[in-house]
Amino acid sequence: MTELHPEMHERRILGTELLWAFGVGVLVAATLSMIVFTALTMNINPPSNVERIDPKALHLSGEFAEHNLGTTVAADGSVTTRVVATQFMFVPRCIAVPQGRRVTLRFSTPDVIHGLLITGTNVNTMVVPGYVAQVHTEFTRSGDLLMPCHEYCGIGHSEMWATVQVLPEGEFKPDSEGKVSCAQR
Amino acid sequence: MHSDQPSASDSPFEVADEVDEAALARVMRVVPLGAGVLAGAAVALLVLGYLAIYLLVFIPRGTIG
Repeated sequence: MTELHPEMHERRILGTELLWAFGVGVLVAATLSMIVFTALTMNINPPSNVERIDPKALHLSGEFAEHNLGTTVAADGSVTTRVVATQFMFVPRCIAVPQGRRVTLRFSTPDVIHGLLITGTNVNTMVVPGYVAQVHTEFTRSGDLLMPCHEYCGIGHSEMWATVQVLPEGEFKPDSEGKVSCAQR
Repeated sequence: MHSDQPSASDSPFEVADEVDEAALARVMRVVPLGAGVLAGAAVALLVLGYLAIYLLVFIPRGTIG
């Protein structure tokens, strides 16, 4: 072949491979730059909270005790939602959140590994026993969103879902304790 | 003499190709370019699909962290 087609010698193959490697390198660099750019300018990052909690005492500990679950508006106006994921339901089953405000979502579980996503948003996390999963986000549209468990957690997994009710600012009204419940519709 | 195995020379319609070395050389000059275009188009489609999902779906879904 070499005698027949001298233009196919190794140097030319090497040149083609280097050109291809350069092109792929440019693509990888552009992709990474885009991810870094959106992280720095638009606050889009993978959730990376590492926080331990005792799963055996989850219902006894302050933060995830039953009366603390759901959405709370603190004195400084920050909105925090606490949810327990358990076989086979989220507690509470309906979560009220404000539209257009930064919300901190905190999840934990006393039993097995769960996962969740909120449809139409970038909220997507695992909920691992012994840890608190935390996601910050801002809901841009009002309405009811589905929040299913997306990690197989047992025989009732398919029945494990909750509703996220995104309320316009005018309808998001905390009570005297700062708690906000889903509007009855 | 005919053997049990038919050969191309048995049939007047199946004559072994005569290799035109000059034509083959011309084709072989184009083949690497074609492979490059094919691979480039495949990667370009993949990157365009990724960009479309990233810019039209992921980014409009809002902040996360």
